[in-house]
Amino acid sequence: MLKLKILKTLKYNLKATTEQLVMRKIFGLLCILTILLVIPTVQYVLAAGDAPGEYIDRRVEIWNLFFRLMTVAFVIGAVVSGTLIWLVWRFRESNPKAKPTKYEEAGEWQK
Amino acid sequence: MSGHSTWPEWVYIGVVVALLVWVGAESWNVERLIDHVPADAEVIKVTGQQWFWTFEHPDGTKEIGELHLQKGKPYKFEITSKDVIHSFNIPDYVVLQDAVPGRINIVWFVPKDTGEFPIQCREYCGLIHYNMRGTLYVEDTA
Repeated sequence: MLKLKILKTLKYNLKATTEQLVMRKIFGLLCILTILLVIPTVQYVLAAGDAPGEYIDRRVEIWNLFFRLMTVAFVIGAVVSGTLIWLVWRFRESNPKAKPTKYEEAGEWQK
Repeated sequence: MSGHSTWPEWVYIGVVVALLVWVGAESWNVERLIDHVPADAEVIKVTGQQWFWTFEHPDGTKEIGELHLQKGKPYKFEITSKDVIHSFNIPDYVVLQDAVPGRINIVWFVPKDTGEFPIQCREYCGLIHYNMRGTLYVEDTA
């Protein structure tokens, strides 16, 4: 019984759908992109040394970091809230394109 | 299994993780840069106590409530407190560091502009906290 179950699982895993293959590729691509982002940052940090007479201006560094992070925060905020607004608008009951779920169709979702 | 396509979810997770990594790396980098005290920085000992600031220069000169520095020179503040927790703050130069009894905290900066700049306590430290102020005088290098 257990053997059969294992075999079935193996068979399932071997039969990856096209969608799963694409997903794996995207995941791999994102891993590469992340590494590509981390390596230059680390290199830049390690390269930061002492140049005599040249000092960083903490006002500039801190405020620039703040503005960069705020840009990211607002972009993410806009995308997330935009997605939520679209979801609510698209899947509202009164939308002409709305389709009943299989539960609603079967009458299992009625009060 | 899931019964629906999940690749958009993975893309979403990937983008979020990448952004978080970027945010973390940027912050870490900037923090590292501003924590790196130049070797030639002049040490100023800063002591907070209810309700004033004392500054001691390397030659032993002390100033109370005011601090005279030279433009373009790096300064390293060694900050401590004699009583409760204070916080040493020069808003115009984004200098902010807690003054904790029994502990020396470090912050450094280079004044780039001449003029007078307010110094204040940024941690509620008692009745006259609001008036625990000082003035930074940045002068041209002689």
